[in-house]
Amino acid sequence: MTDVVRLEAVSKVYGKGQGAVAALREVSVAIPSGSFTAVMGPSGSGKSTFLHCAAGLDVPSSGSVRLGGTELSGLSENRLTELRRQRIGFVFQSFNLVGSLTVLENITLPLRLAGAKADRGWLEEVVRRVGLEGRTGHRPAQLSGGQQQRVAIARALVTRPEVVFGDEPTGALDTMTARDVLRLLREVVEGMGQTVVMVTHDPVAASYADTVLFLADGRIVDSMTAPTSDKVAERMTRLGAWTR
Amino acid sequence: MIWLSLKTLRHRKAAFAGAFAALLCAAALVCACLMLLETGLRGTVSPERYAGTPVLVAGDQNVRVTIDKGDKTKVKAKPLAERVWIPAELAAGLRKAPGVERVVTEVTFPVAGGFVGHGWESAALTPFTIAAGRAPSAAGEVVVDAASGLGVGSELAGHRVVGVTAQALPSRRTVFFSTDEARTLARPGMLTAIGVFPAGVDVAKAVAGKALVYTGDERGAIEFLGAENARVKLISLGGALTGTSLLVAILVVVGTFALSIQQRQRELALMRAVAATPGQVRKLLGGEALMVSLAAGLPGAGLGIGLGFWLRSKFVELGAMPANLELVLSPFPAVAAVLATMLAAWAAARVSAHRTARIRPVEALGEAAIERGGLPWARLGAGVACAGGGVALTIVLSTLQVEAASSPVTMLTALLWCVAVTLLGPPLARLAVAVLSVPLRASRVGGHLATRNLRASSRRMSSVISPVSLMVAMTCTILFVQTTMGHAAEQEAAAGTRAALVVTGAPAAAVREVPGVSAVTEVLRTSVRIGLDKYGTQGLNPDPRTVDLDVTTGSLKGFGPGSVALSRVAAARLEAKVGDKIAITLGDGTPVSVTVAAIYARGLGFAELTLAHDLVVKHVDNPMGTLLVAGDAAVVTETLKTALPQATVLPSAEAWEKAGAQNAEINYVAMGLIIAFTAIAVVNTLAMSTADRSRELALLRLVGTTRRQVMGMLRMETLSSVLVAVVSGSLIALVTLAAFGAGMTGSAIPHVPPLTYAAVVAAVTALALLATVLPARLALRERPAEALGARE
Repeated sequence: MTDVVRLEAVSKVYGKGQGAVAALREVSVAIPSGSFTAVMGPSGSGKSTFLHCAAGLDVPSSGSVRLGGTELSGLSENRLTELRRQRIGFVFQSFNLVGSLTVLENITLPLRLAGAKADRGWLEEVVRRVGLEGRTGHRPAQLSGGQQQRVAIARALVTRPEVVFGDEPTGALDTMTARDVLRLLREVVEGMGQTVVMVTHDPVAASYADTVLFLADGRIVDSMTAPTSDKVAERMTRLGAWTR
Repeated sequence: MIWLSLKTLRHRKAAFAGAFAALLCAAALVCACLMLLETGLRGTVSPERYAGTPVLVAGDQNVRVTIDKGDKTKVKAKPLAERVWIPAELAAGLRKAPGVERVVTEVTFPVAGGFVGHGWESAALTPFTIAAGRAPSAAGEVVVDAASGLGVGSELAGHRVVGVTAQALPSRRTVFFSTDEARTLARPGMLTAIGVFPAGVDVAKAVAGKALVYTGDERGAIEFLGAENARVKLISLGGALTGTSLLVAILVVVGTFALSIQQRQRELALMRAVAATPGQVRKLLGGEALMVSLAAGLPGAGLGIGLGFWLRSKFVELGAMPANLELVLSPFPAVAAVLATMLAAWAAARVSAHRTARIRPVEALGEAAIERGGLPWARLGAGVACAGGGVALTIVLSTLQVEAASSPVTMLTALLWCVAVTLLGPPLARLAVAVLSVPLRASRVGGHLATRNLRASSRRMSSVISPVSLMVAMTCTILFVQTTMGHAAEQEAAAGTRAALVVTGAPAAAVREVPGVSAVTEVLRTSVRIGLDKYGTQGLNPDPRTVDLDVTTGSLKGFGPGSVALSRVAAARLEAKVGDKIAITLGDGTPVSVTVAAIYARGLGFAELTLAHDLVVKHVDNPMGTLLVAGDAAVVTETLKTALPQATVLPSAEAWEKAGAQNAEINYVAMGLIIAFTAIAVVNTLAMSTADRSRELALLRLVGTTRRQVMGMLRMETLSSVLVAVVSGSLIALVTLAAFGAGMTGSAIPHVPPLTYAAVVAAVTALALLATVLPARLALRERPAEALGARE
């Protein structure tokens, strides 16, 4: 397996001088293609910063981020945007959709902004896989929270990206709906060979991943393969003890 | 991006309602102002009196000066105030000119009772024909027009009516004297116009250098000199109004757009994160702006045409525009208004979108929830630059002593200060909140919440402050420029008038005979040109019993037809001192050379220039002036009433007040529209800002805040914003007015009637409260749980 995303000694410092806060300290990690990775950590551990830097949403203070063969540092905002819309998919916690567009228009938004035409067959398959057949004409306000996340996942998949990033994608959902969405993400990895990186604080969510990375105080302090929710929860408890 | 703009517009109709309303009003205002401007530039008056003569020879109504610009020369022309007469010999020359079949000469002079007098020789110019009686043939006989209501045998101004014409002119009453008597009543050896027949005959060569040839609608311009002057005034008024309303429109629209973009920050941030480049976000917002402005501009321009007609009727009513000067109707104002509105909206969207589009998507995702503290450097820089510009303009304004230059600069100064306040709004708001939080703490719930909210969102507060302070600043400036000028002129006039009464409509000689009258001074008002510059001028023979001009240097002793007295301002403009010779072009184009006899202080109350009455009276269209009558007021009023019942008698103090009122009213009408526009902007912004908070209000209700406490909080927030806005707006107006006063009246203290000011503040406050309370009521009517559950 090749690495889709590779971070080398990535640091991110907010602020300057005395008030400077390091959110990431020399993080190095490689995400293999076709894997499902969960990033866990207590609040303030740098999870979100990690995701933003890895996804080209934010620029690290130092270090290198490579997506496929492309070095992200030094790219202009326009180049970064193009890269995001062609090679990266996003699922955020909430406010994922543009209210004025229908489900189908939301899904194809990255394509239309790129000036590309949707591949009809692929679009139909994506819609079918996320279970939104018959709802493509609806507006986001007419959908439940879980359905909205499914639309976001479909939008993330439609450009056949190299990696899909999720920022607490199930954070705003109830347990049952969250399980459905996580199953869908799992399916995407297994059935479509998609790479998924997900930031979460929920051990149950993390248990759907192949690998869990534990972040604390801006550093990767541990990792776990074949996680279960109990093992993750136990590790998290210990992490909490370390950080306090 | 157009499809996305369209989708957003369709989905978020309510969010764009504010921008739509602002743009609609802007388009209407600009369109109406442009109609006036176009009428000023291209308006014509069709001839009535001269309708029957194909070719008209008359004087050149312009003073022309050749300006040497190094390699090339340019002739500049400025209109004269009075009718230019031409020598009678021209007629003889015209009769001999090739192709001329008939020449009709005319003299014009005013006749008591509002009639315009001519000799019967010129009846053919309309033409007038006799319907009853006969033509006048001897002195003492007149023919009146069909609309005069007089019949053969009745009397007019001491003359016997011997005939009535079949025709009448729509705009004025005409009376014909016998040709010989008319010549003696007018200026000897001079004519007002010569009609030449037949049509198409070229007589330009025959009159070269002495007169001009007018055909078609040009004849109307010569007939109605007042319309010509009104036209010129419309150009400057229309231009100033268009400029001011465009600037105000941009300011208002920027505010509205900024608010609507702020409200959908999260959606824009999502777009940036997912796929949109900064350029695409800018294009999306620009596209929305263009579409909203097109949708608003079209009906706005339609409304503007109606507004233009209303303005015209108002101006006609106020006497600023003659009734026969028709509005020029062309697609130009409407098209230009729509384009200007679109441009303003697009620019406003670009300005508001600048930050949103450039921001990194993560920052945007974070910022959408809470406001970022700092002010971007560019905005801060622009704000400081505008404030600097404001200081510079204020200094310039304080040196301007001519109204024509001062008026537009005054508006511009106030506007520039408003822009500076808008740009620097957030730090100003924070500062104000820090001060205001002390008294607000007195209210435990409402006041506490209000301070918290204001402190947390200084940008929202500043977006409310800027239109309110704009409204206060513009209203105060517009209103108090007039009162300051009027007050200063009134004070000077009152201080300088020794006469007890001001009498109009009676000959001076007759008034002198009235018992109790100790002195009578005739005052004529006209304007002259020195070079190309216009100077308001009075013609009077100085008499210390009636008028005191407050002479500072020189003396009015021996003041005669060869003398001129200058106001201090005029003397400074002309760089003239006592004893200098000055070349003046009188109102009717006659050049004279006069010696400066004195320089006086009361230029504002009287006139910039004073010439001898004996000189001016021969060069004005209406030699019947105003009479300043000295004597015991009560006694003379009574005796005048019995001796000269047709005269209007006013105590001098009242007369001055009336004189200033008309000009002020015209300005109030025109500028009132701009004030109304800013008022709409205030309502707009506040309603938008309150309606956007329905979720927050619902949350407050859910956690146990009573409806009354929520309303109390909103009221206190609004009142705090209004207070800050009134203070900043008043300061802007005060600084502007002080500079204006320093230049125009010599005193930096503006005249502000306290009641008027209180009314302005009360109106602004009421408007702001209404615009907050009504949408809040609507928002609170919903069940809180439902309001909170409603998705964004």
